[in-house]
Amino acid sequence: MKQSLRRRMFLPLLLLPLFAGIPACEQADDQPVKVGAVLSLTGPGAGLGGPERNGILLAQKLINERGGINGRPLEVIIEDDGSKADIAKSKAEGLIHGENVVALLGPSLTASTGAAASVTNRIGMPQLCMTGLGPEIELSYKSLFHMLPPQSLNARAMLEYLSKGLNVRQLGVLYDSGYGQLVMTHIENHAGDYGINIVAAEKFEVGATDVSTQAAKVRAAKPEVVGIIATSPVPFRNARQMRITQPIVSAVGSSSYEYVKGMGEFADDIVFPEFIVSEDPLPHQKEFVDLFVKEYGTLPKTYDAAGWDATHVIAQALSEVGPDAGSEAIAEAIRANRYRGVIASFNFAAPDMTGIELESYTYSKLVDGNYTRLPFTAK
Amino acid sequence: MSPDLLFQSVLTGLTNGFVYGLIGLGIASIFRGTRIINAMQGDFALIGGITAVLLLERQGWPMLPAFVAAVLIGGAAGWLLEVLLVRPLRRRGGTEDSYLLLTLGCAFAVSALVLYFVGRDSHALPGIGGEGIVVIADAAMRIHALWLIAISLAVMLTLRLFYSRTSLGLSMMAAALDPQGALTTGINVPLMRTLTFALGGLVGGLAGILVGPLITVYFDMGLLLTLKGFAAAILGGLANPMGAIVGGVTLGLLESIAIVTISSGYKDVIAMVILIIIMIVMPNGLLGRRTRKGG
Repeated sequence: MKQSLRRRMFLPLLLLPLFAGIPACEQADDQPVKVGAVLSLTGPGAGLGGPERNGILLAQKLINERGGINGRPLEVIIEDDGSKADIAKSKAEGLIHGENVVALLGPSLTASTGAAASVTNRIGMPQLCMTGLGPEIELSYKSLFHMLPPQSLNARAMLEYLSKGLNVRQLGVLYDSGYGQLVMTHIENHAGDYGINIVAAEKFEVGATDVSTQAAKVRAAKPEVVGIIATSPVPFRNARQMRITQPIVSAVGSSSYEYVKGMGEFADDIVFPEFIVSEDPLPHQKEFVDLFVKEYGTLPKTYDAAGWDATHVIAQALSEVGPDAGSEAIAEAIRANRYRGVIASFNFAAPDMTGIELESYTYSKLVDGNYTRLPFTAK
Repeated sequence: MSPDLLFQSVLTGLTNGFVYGLIGLGIASIFRGTRIINAMQGDFALIGGITAVLLLERQGWPMLPAFVAAVLIGGAAGWLLEVLLVRPLRRRGGTEDSYLLLTLGCAFAVSALVLYFVGRDSHALPGIGGEGIVVIADAAMRIHALWLIAISLAVMLTLRLFYSRTSLGLSMMAAALDPQGALTTGINVPLMRTLTFALGGLVGGLAGILVGPLITVYFDMGLLLTLKGFAAAILGGLANPMGAIVGGVTLGLLESIAIVTISSGYKDVIAMVILIIIMIVMPNGLLGRRTRKGG
């Protein structure tokens, strides 16, 4: 009898965890959906990672204001790789195995992308990197998606404008040994297709404080137009100081307000094939630009938009298949979607894992330090 | 290669050479007075440059007071570095290696602070003479670059006279060469060392406002300048401020002529190979012997 009484007394206590489990399950549904982001917030790539973070955080805020992922809040956990590939890899591992994120955004640089992709590829985790297609091995990574176009497309976007917009044939180029070299390789490959003759090509190291001599050498070759591909305002200044009066055509990676500020009074008559002219946004870019200005008080550029787009792409896929659907299903949803982003229309099932077309480029021209949209479209 | 292009490369090489030399001048001055290789000399230039930017852009100061304040802030940074960090390290028996590491760490810290508080933007400082250029035989040179050269030469000569003709300069030299002997003659050795760093900071701050209009001012410019300035100082003879200018100009001209005669891609390789040869033939630097004679 005593035993029976004890059983009766303890039975509710034994059952308590079962009942306690009900609200626990409900609580799990409110748990945030974790997405990791590895970005270059310090080091040489910080000029990319900082804007990408701004875009990601703004997108996260908006997505959560609009109900999150099927009612659960989206939480993007951002880590800094210091612009180093080995750190990017360890940060990706930490986010995946420590924080149990369901997808990865970033990194910002090509080398870091490859390092992090070696981790995500093993488990098929979706990774939306902020770079264009890099080394050939990336083609074998089926869950790696690119938010920016491959450098060959950036090169062709420049050549399109030279041959069809300016109708010139003699090109001189100043380019740096990093980003500039990547684009320049493809310019050399495609120049013949557009009837462009490269009369001078002068390289300088990334971070060079003066490239006046290289600029003088380009000027001496008497090109009709000068291409400058660099992640610094220095070559733009030096080119004008060396009395290069020809039009300057640059590449998307050189277009930033930071560089324009550094160019000072020389920020004039420079054309960029890029994706967003915030001073005159296209209709599908307006909401992003308005929200960005409201949040940060500055105008966004391509890398801010890349962070925004990447966050929306992953949020859309997670909403469709559910955050617990598993890596394979989430990656498949990303491939299946055709996402109309701020930057471009993405087709992640395309061979270059981004699907950005030449038509997505918009052309801007710096006039007295201000970006203005050009009425030119590449086809 | 046309004569015009060659002449242009000489003018550009001279400009860059004096930029390197001005940084090297600060490194050499501090080494001369303390026997410490200061790896944050380029960051003194960053401090000077960014101070000028903040005073001009955010506070709306006129150019001259802003530039004077920037140079003084550079000097104050040198003074603080010695008093707060170098002096305690010396008391604990710091070695050459630890001083180098200390100043290198400070260089990274200054860069990070500027990044955090000012941001990553590049800032174009106004030059003396604006953006105006002079054209000589179809080669262009900025008026500001001419001022940079003139001021660098003036600073070099002033330092030379200071160290050889003034009692303060001689005291600083004595404190560096024989601290114990200097103490016995009544020289305040710690103060001389502090003044040496302050002097290096002043030269660095001056470099910042002179270099800023040419290369723009941005958060991680310091280490790049230090590397080139260090090469200039070593080439000229580390303890000789005049040697730093000579070394800087040599380096600048070598780089520039390598670009126009061979290839811009091999600029550094060519310049460094020639520098190595010079250092093998003249291990004390171009003006090293004179330094020794001068004490």
